[in-house]
Amino acid sequence: MLTSLVDAQGRKQAALELLVRYIRIVDDPRRLAEWPDLFGDSAEYVVITRENHERGLPIAVIRDDTKDRIIDRVTIIKNFWGAGGRAEDHHYNESWPRHIVGPAWVEFTESGEARLGANFAVYATVQVDPEPRLLALGEYQDVVDFSGEIPKFKSKKVILDTSVLQDVFVYPL
Amino acid sequence: MAESVEPPRFDLARRIRWPQEDNKIPREIFTDPDLFRAEMDGVFTGPVWVLVGHESEIPKPGDYKTISMGAAPVIVIRGANARVSVLVNACAHRGTRLVEGPSGNVLRGGFRCIYHMWTYDTDGRLIAVSLPEDFPQEFRKEDYGLPRARVDTYRGAIFATLNDDAPPLLEYLAELTGGLDKVLEDGALEFLGSIRVIFRANWKLYVENIYDGYHVTALHTGFQVVRLRSHGGERLVPNYERNGHLWGRSRSTPVNQLTPALRDMSLFDTRTKPTTDHNMMVVFPSGVVTDYFDTIQMRYVIPLELDRTQIEFAFFGRQHDPEEARLHRVRQGPEVLGPAGAITLEDAAALERVQLSATARGENVVLKGTPKRFPPYRHVDEAPIRHFYQAYRRLMGFHSDDH
Ligand code: FES
Ligand SMILES: [Fe+2]
Repeated sequence: MLTSLVDAQGRKQAALELLVRYIRIVDDPRRLAEWPDLFGDSAEYVVITRENHERGLPIAVIRDDTKDRIIDRVTIIKNFWGAGGRAEDHHYNESWPRHIVGPAWVEFTESGEARLGANFAVYATVQVDPEPRLLALGEYQDVVDFSGEIPKFKSKKVILDTSVLQDVFVYPL
Repeated sequence: MAESVEPPRFDLARRIRWPQEDNKIPREIFTDPDLFRAEMDGVFTGPVWVLVGHESEIPKPGDYKTISMGAAPVIVIRGANARVSVLVNACAHRGTRLVEGPSGNVLRGGFRCIYHMWTYDTDGRLIAVSLPEDFPQEFRKEDYGLPRARVDTYRGAIFATLNDDAPPLLEYLAELTGGLDKVLEDGALEFLGSIRVIFRANWKLYVENIYDGYHVTALHTGFQVVRLRSHGGERLVPNYERNGHLWGRSRSTPVNQLTPALRDMSLFDTRTKPTTDHNMMVVFPSGVVTDYFDTIQMRYVIPLELDRTQIEFAFFGRQHDPEEARLHRVRQGPEVLGPAGAITLEDAAALERVQLSATARGENVVLKGTPKRFPPYRHVDEAPIRHFYQAYRRLMGFHSDDH
């Protein structure tokens, strides 16, 4: 009884730490290559508007439904966008994202999976505009996988509150 | 002393001088707020047909979506009798917005205005008025229906016009129907969802970009990374003497001949068609229809402000798609032609930068392919942009000295 309570507390703590690690990485474009490591091998990363999510429409802004696609996202950002495929340190919409996250909550399912949720706002400071931009507003609906050495995302769903995106975005939300 | 009174748009056309050469575009047309307002009338309520949706977006009686035709908010609705109507989204009493949000169903109850509870049916007829005592005696509900646009469809694509002088739709589309036939086939599409995003650029910059074949390899560097090229192909401008639609056709490198820069190359794969031929069309002034790879997409361009334009990317499958094909389209569409996709982001970045510096007076110039005066152009040419602006200038009353 005591051990399982400690276990639950420990897992809750570990899930919240995963979220913090995630935010630290997506807030720093220079650490983009570390982003796929936050996901398990059969993970998915989905960014979808609340409208499509609730209407059951499958079109998502991003639907990385395999680890390969999650890894490809980094390649697209670093190598595809801008500067003739040599975009690593210079690409369009050079921007500095800032995630404001909270509150965060953790719930356990019967199977012991942790569901991690949090509200977020993402601002971006972009070079072409003196004003910071509110890029996205919404909710994370994540599932954390504890089967490996360190906890990873089994699923990360980013639900966007607005049906109209305020801007295109470069980095993962 | 009698001064001639002309609509304001003609004054603007005089104030902004369009250069003699038709390959030059004065930057003022992207920065003049009076011109923007004049365009909402001159172009979007001019004798044009605006692409406002596809029937598969509103499959059931009572289903509706909201959109704007230029500055006019409208409701695109399938009525109780299954007929599609386009109604102005403003109460006939004191003009309140009737429905909010992108879509819904109102079969039961119709539209009830929150302000004084007037209620309209799905055909826009006023069916109930609260407390009508002491109304003028001649008041009749029949006189207060919602204004409706003229509507016609082509293979399920819904077009609307607010102008009585618009020619019949088929005449307006002219040879563009050839491309629409290829993309829409029998019109039996399944709506998979939309993504809407705001571009920080004037609506004309968004539309002219589609006519521009020159930027494709220069700007969209992902194509270079995987060595994807367009083979052959051409840019037609059907009906260019009148409307200046665009019909670009080309064939892209098959996925098995690309450099596998991504682990999952299905992004560039064509699986549902016998060849990698694709079409990219602009239905003047603000509709886009394409079947790039396996992505069936329509775009609706909505000018919000001088330098802000909302683009709705609507994605479709075919009703008879096997499950793998449907999933493939769902995974591919936004990843290629969506705001977080491999291509669209770059257009947004470029157009925003054009808008930002448009306050520097002078002219933008169109060169590639312009020695040829008439379509067809090569798929790498930017020359078709001229025809977009010829159509625009005719509607807006800009003098075109060279015609
Ligand atoms: S404004 Fe709609 S009922 Fe009065
Ligand atoms: Fe482009």
